[in-house]
Amino acid sequence: MPGFDFSNYNRNAALHARGVPLPKATSTGTTIVGCIYDNGVVIAADTRATSGPIVADKNCEKLHYIAPKIWCAGAGTAADTEFTTALISSNVELHSLSTGRDPRVITCMTMLKQHLFRYQGHIGAYLVVAGVDPTGVGLYTVHAHGSTDKLPYVTMGSGSLAAMSVFESMWQPDLNKEGAIALCSEAIKAGIFNDLGSGSNVDVCVIEKDKPTQLLRNYEKPNERGEKERNYRFPRGTTAWLNQKVISKEDMKKYVTIETLSGDDNLAAGEKMEVDV
Amino acid sequence: MGSPFDINGGACVAMVGKDCVAIACDLRLGMQALTISNNFPKIFNYAPSTYLGLTGLATDVNTVSDLFRYKVNMYRLREERHISPRPWPTCPVLAGINQTTGKPFICGFDSIGCIDFAKDFIVSGTASDQLFGTCEGLWEPDLGPEDLFETISQALLSAVDRDALSGWGAQVYIIEKDKVTQRLLKGRQD
Amino acid sequence: MRGPTIIKAEDDKTRQLNKNTLMAFSGEAGDTVQFAEFIQANVQLYSMRNDTELSPAAVANFVRGELARSLRSRSPYTVNLLLGGMDPTTEQPHLYWIDYLASLAPVPYAAHGYAQYYCLSLLDKHHNPNIDLEQGMKLLGMCTDELKRRLPIDYKGVLVKIITKDGVKEVDFDNDKIVRSA
Repeated sequence: MPGFDFSNYNRNAALHARGVPLPKATSTGTTIVGCIYDNGVVIAADTRATSGPIVADKNCEKLHYIAPKIWCAGAGTAADTEFTTALISSNVELHSLSTGRDPRVITCMTMLKQHLFRYQGHIGAYLVVAGVDPTGVGLYTVHAHGSTDKLPYVTMGSGSLAAMSVFESMWQPDLNKEGAIALCSEAIKAGIFNDLGSGSNVDVCVIEKDKPTQLLRNYEKPNERGEKERNYRFPRGTTAWLNQKVISKEDMKKYVTIETLSGDDNLAAGEKMEVDV
Repeated sequence: MGSPFDINGGACVAMVGKDCVAIACDLRLGMQALTISNNFPKIFNYAPSTYLGLTGLATDVNTVSDLFRYKVNMYRLREERHISPRPWPTCPVLAGINQTTGKPFICGFDSIGCIDFAKDFIVSGTASDQLFGTCEGLWEPDLGPEDLFETISQALLSAVDRDALSGWGAQVYIIEKDKVTQRLLKGRQD
Repeated sequence: MRGPTIIKAEDDKTRQLNKNTLMAFSGEAGDTVQFAEFIQANVQLYSMRNDTELSPAAVANFVRGELARSLRSRSPYTVNLLLGGMDPTTEQPHLYWIDYLASLAPVPYAAHGYAQYYCLSLLDKHHNPNIDLEQGMKLLGMCTDELKRRLPIDYKGVLVKIITKDGVKEVDFDNDKIVRSA
């Protein structure tokens, strides 16, 4: 059957009209930014995930891999940014495999906008796409409804206004790498401290021509929790319990054969997929 | 009738310790304010040291736990090995130790499948707001199995005592590399 | 019941599923008997095909599965169930509480509908894991007395069936006892 199926949407709208609240989704009330410099591009993000007024994750990752030299910062509905970027990442890789060329940022941006436009904004992904390709440096924003922008410096998410104020007052042409990283980090911090939906740490990703991409996870940690000055641990035996059951490997050995594999990640038999290089 | 997430009540929490993890749930099954059962565990075991906690609408706790048992058993027959704890969409709280690497692992999901890999703790259920508070205050890194038991138990008991829809006893699993201890906690029955 | 009129005073709201499991039901008129007899037929079909009796746990999970499937269909069954049985191999008694949302819980005692509010507190106080038949019947009497005393409707008595390892049997129960309200 051609066309789109909106029956689930209609069901949810009917349920909502009858007073059933929609289930809470984790949204990244977020600050994400990007900025190009003389030899590449920098993107950065805060690390707070919220569900309503509750901070659901204090150190989540909002910088998503698309290709080795194309990365994406995501704001909006967490699941949507996660799965949209994963899907486009797969398609970009297949595309580059079939054309035999390195993927281009504009290709990735086009795929994202076409995908999001098709879903009319129901996929709540607001993205900053950045990367380096044979045509040069690329930096774009993609909105959930499918509109895009191409600018030398961009901000998105609930903290975009705070972050943009930093860019508007401190950005200058011909930045170098260090300057771009510092500016992006400063913009994210403006979001972290002035926007309630953003918080915790700064993640930075630097994509430079002819150099491997650097993901600087927790590049800055301006909100480290203070050390507890005293020990508040419960003494053992605090909790009353009525009965216990212990299942040990020794017991299991009576019934089945147990072999312990080496602790080396790479030796985990059959767990790694073989990839042709 | 209100949200389906609040009809039956229930709470679940998982925490990471040093070379161990713990996962705990309350035992109440209710219908709004009426308690039907005070022995309704919400943690299910799917492989040695892989445990899954489910909260929300009780019928879906039943359905998802049954469906998972079926899927995991089919996986074991097809692959001739146990599953390891790693993300699998649709489950709210997962805790375990990877049998090959020995690393503790916990994660949680929102209802549309956004994964939260945490290195400290994961909470879910009608008492999740309270659990966020108690865990934030009580958890600290590198707790041994015995200290982790006290921490997770006190965090859960304190949280469910402030939630009318959760409580009526609790169950805790402490998962170590080659041993799992299950304890039934003494909790308020009101 | 049809509106305010009682059609039948001694309607049997139970179905025997196999030799040692019995299911009691309440809910939407029509759905109840239709669903119970569908389950009854399928449990019996299973026993004939495989030449084994299903345990109460197996029956309960089958019933729950069917009810859960129906819940997400266009016209779900609105049926609340209590399923009691003796496991033929372990000779242990089992009781399962299943509501129309297909929530399944193994319980020591249970009720559905308004009876829950009147009876569960009595059962909480007087039930113990080693209760025998005589004490059990006495406790059941306390429950029905309370229902007569507090429920604003006359529910025309109860039908009592006992499940033992020898099967299901109906027992006499004095429904004519008059209970004065406090």
